[in-house]
Amino acid sequence: MENMEIILKAKSLSRHFGGLAAVDDVSFEVTRLGVTSIIGPNGAGKSTLFNLLSGTFMADSGLVELECKNITRMSPEERLSCGMARSFQITNLFFDLSVINNLRIASQALEPSSHLFLPLSKSAIAIDRANELLEEFELLECCDQLAGALSHGQQRRLEIAVTLATRPKLLLLDEPTQGMSQADTQDTAELIKYLGSKITVLLIEHDVDLVMDLSKTVIVMAQGKKLAEGIPGEVRANPLVQTAYFGEELA
Amino acid sequence: MHNPQVKAIRLIEILLLVSAIVLFLVGSILGDTFFLRLATESLIFGGLAMSVDLLLGIVGLLSLGQALYFGFGAYLSALILKEVSPSFFLAIGIVTLSSIVLGWAASFVALRSKGVYFALITFGLAQVAAKVVYNTRSLGASDGMMGVPILQIWTPIGSVDAGQPGVFFVITLLTIGALYGVLKYFLTTPMGSIWHAIRSNEDRLAYIGYKSKGPKQVAFILAAVVAAVSGALYPMLRGFVSPELMFFSVSGNAVVTVVLGGVGTLIGPILGSVLLTSFKSIIGTWTVHHHIVIGLIFVAVVISAPKGIAGLLATYFRKTHSRKGEE
Amino acid sequence: MLESLQYIYAPQMVNGLSIGVAVVLMALGLTIIFGLLDVINMSHGEFYAAGAFISVSLMAIGVSFWLCLILVPLILVPIGFGMERLLIQKVFHYKDRHILTLLLTFGVAMILEDGYKIIWGANPIKPSAPISGASELLGVMFPNYRLFLMGFGVLIIFSVWALIYKTQLGAIVRASAYDKDMSSSLGIPVMRVYALTFAFGVALAGLAGVLLAPIYSVFPTMGRDFILMAFSVVIVGGLGSIKGAVIAGILLTQLQSISSLFISPVWSDPLVFTVMVLVLMFKPTGLYGGMKNA
Repeated sequence: MENMEIILKAKSLSRHFGGLAAVDDVSFEVTRLGVTSIIGPNGAGKSTLFNLLSGTFMADSGLVELECKNITRMSPEERLSCGMARSFQITNLFFDLSVINNLRIASQALEPSSHLFLPLSKSAIAIDRANELLEEFELLECCDQLAGALSHGQQRRLEIAVTLATRPKLLLLDEPTQGMSQADTQDTAELIKYLGSKITVLLIEHDVDLVMDLSKTVIVMAQGKKLAEGIPGEVRANPLVQTAYFGEELA
Repeated sequence: MHNPQVKAIRLIEILLLVSAIVLFLVGSILGDTFFLRLATESLIFGGLAMSVDLLLGIVGLLSLGQALYFGFGAYLSALILKEVSPSFFLAIGIVTLSSIVLGWAASFVALRSKGVYFALITFGLAQVAAKVVYNTRSLGASDGMMGVPILQIWTPIGSVDAGQPGVFFVITLLTIGALYGVLKYFLTTPMGSIWHAIRSNEDRLAYIGYKSKGPKQVAFILAAVVAAVSGALYPMLRGFVSPELMFFSVSGNAVVTVVLGGVGTLIGPILGSVLLTSFKSIIGTWTVHHHIVIGLIFVAVVISAPKGIAGLLATYFRKTHSRKGEE
Repeated sequence: MLESLQYIYAPQMVNGLSIGVAVVLMALGLTIIFGLLDVINMSHGEFYAAGAFISVSLMAIGVSFWLCLILVPLILVPIGFGMERLLIQKVFHYKDRHILTLLLTFGVAMILEDGYKIIWGANPIKPSAPISGASELLGVMFPNYRLFLMGFGVLIIFSVWALIYKTQLGAIVRASAYDKDMSSSLGIPVMRVYALTFAFGVALAGLAGVLLAPIYSVFPTMGRDFILMAFSVVIVGGLGSIKGAVIAGILLTQLQSISSLFISPVWSDPLVFTVMVLVLMFKPTGLYGGMKNA
């Protein structure tokens, strides 16, 4: 059932800020479908890595390939059209707009650009997709509320829904359970598992147990470098990984 | 379920339309010149205010130099009417086309920045243009250009004399109304939604598939056209143009009327312009220092009612709606 | 060649320098207000004008120019403090606060400008320079007042820099700007610090007004005319950077004075503005910019 085809490849990615190497010669591969997770102690460079993958920053050196296409120098919107979408750790919605409008604008890219100048009703694909997402993410009852007025859990769901609007092949989720209650975290975990059965999910998370439960592959980072990569059991038992985490706890 | 802001906008639209009709009828019967001309002028500046609001209230860019396009439209219109042909449609047409080019060119300078820097660049562009015009002999330098002929405008019901205050009031109402209609149309398109999204959270836009530069450019050019076409009407009303039309006070006043009427509503700025123009003319009969009063009102509005009159109305509708809900 | 350097360029440069220091003073205030308070003060030019007008009135009732240099900034401090406390802080909690403060200060500018017209009339007033005569420097005669301006200006600029970077007070101001909540929990009265910083910034503008009044004369729209120059300096130098304000201020005023040898003065503003736009296009944070980084 597991697909061994590689969808995302990172080769020797590096990025410096000032004198500091936030990401230092990191290489890994993500295979299709399922959940691949990136974990590591604070300051490991996970977020920077994500930013390099999604086009928020440009890498100083190295390569990013999406389905064998070189996307290293592409802007975020170009990456989106290649099928990669990302969500944000700090909820990054259009807070002044309603939930349905957030979803509709996020789905607009499914329409040809000429539709931008035609009345809204002509963008039926986007409208349908938005309604679909409303149902799928249980946001129907708040569809007309401003995104800024939602509860934290609802906002995080909307954040993921917005990211999925264009039906990407690869979904980058940046700490999706950040600040969530236990119950919400469980629900989100179910959601991520379900998503992993349909598309490829690349996840940054702090909740190690959650990650071990969900993922087919785990990548561990520390101090900008890749420490380990493999199936959850392997990684958990890896002495280097244990030192990185326990070392942090003792310190 | 009725959106209180939509209600507020609708109310202002009806209010303005009804007052316009009443003014036209009463004014025409009584042979009034003063009030009709005043109303026409307030509509012309209302058009300029709409262009400011498109950028500020919809896209989120504060332009402190829309007077540049307004003055451009005015001067170009005056030149065409004087030197080429006293044709309303020719003037409007040429102004529309050339302002598209001007807006497009200016966007490359202005849109390199946002926020404060954008405000300062647009401010600077207008200052520089005003200075250039002020010192250009062939455009009349500080005196401007006079002697713009009175137009005979073709309409489906026969040629009308723009010299008649009532007639030109209606022409202006229709023109500004058409501009309003165009802008409202854009707001019903996905492009309009993207503009709102830019105002709300520009950084996220790329991640849902759109570069913000293109939509901003469209809005910028559209705003230039709206300001220029409004400006083109000015010499038709007053018979002259002068560099004062490009001065900062014109841009500044436009911003004041936008905030006063209700930022982001498009009709609010027109209401604001009507109120401000009437106010200036009333206060102007007592003292020449109306700027201080306007400034005071403006500061008060920014602090206590930053969403302007439309905002106050919307709040009122929201309150009565929730009160009704409790019954 | 050397002669033209001595007799044509040098005098222009010195004149430009004397104006440059006053421009720097004004830009310093503006950049401090933006860098430390995140406020765009569109009324800054009007405080420059206020300084000029107040000094004119004070001198008319017999106060000496030298006393004005001290009194005028002191008078402007409570006004600036009040404006920040009562007006600006009211809109600070809004999400749109950048635009709102811009609009607010713009409204205040409108009020002040008209106020000057009402109180002092629209006609320009030219106070006489407190130091008359000229001195010879390298074979060229320079007005003594301009020489004084340069020296005094440099002194003030240096004092401001020292105040912000080398004193306890300066550290408090910088800390409040950097992290409001942390500073507050350390017992710093952050709101009062903000208001004082604003007051300080506009007092500097007022001082520039006093200094330049004998050169440029005093009239109600002088603030608005000057503000584009002030903002250009701040932008080219980098919003929030003191070093940037100094260097850009000198550079741009030199550009202005030397270019006036070749082109009509009408074009000097557009020239400065073009430089500003170019800088914004290619290095948007200015020469030494980077938010809140002086």
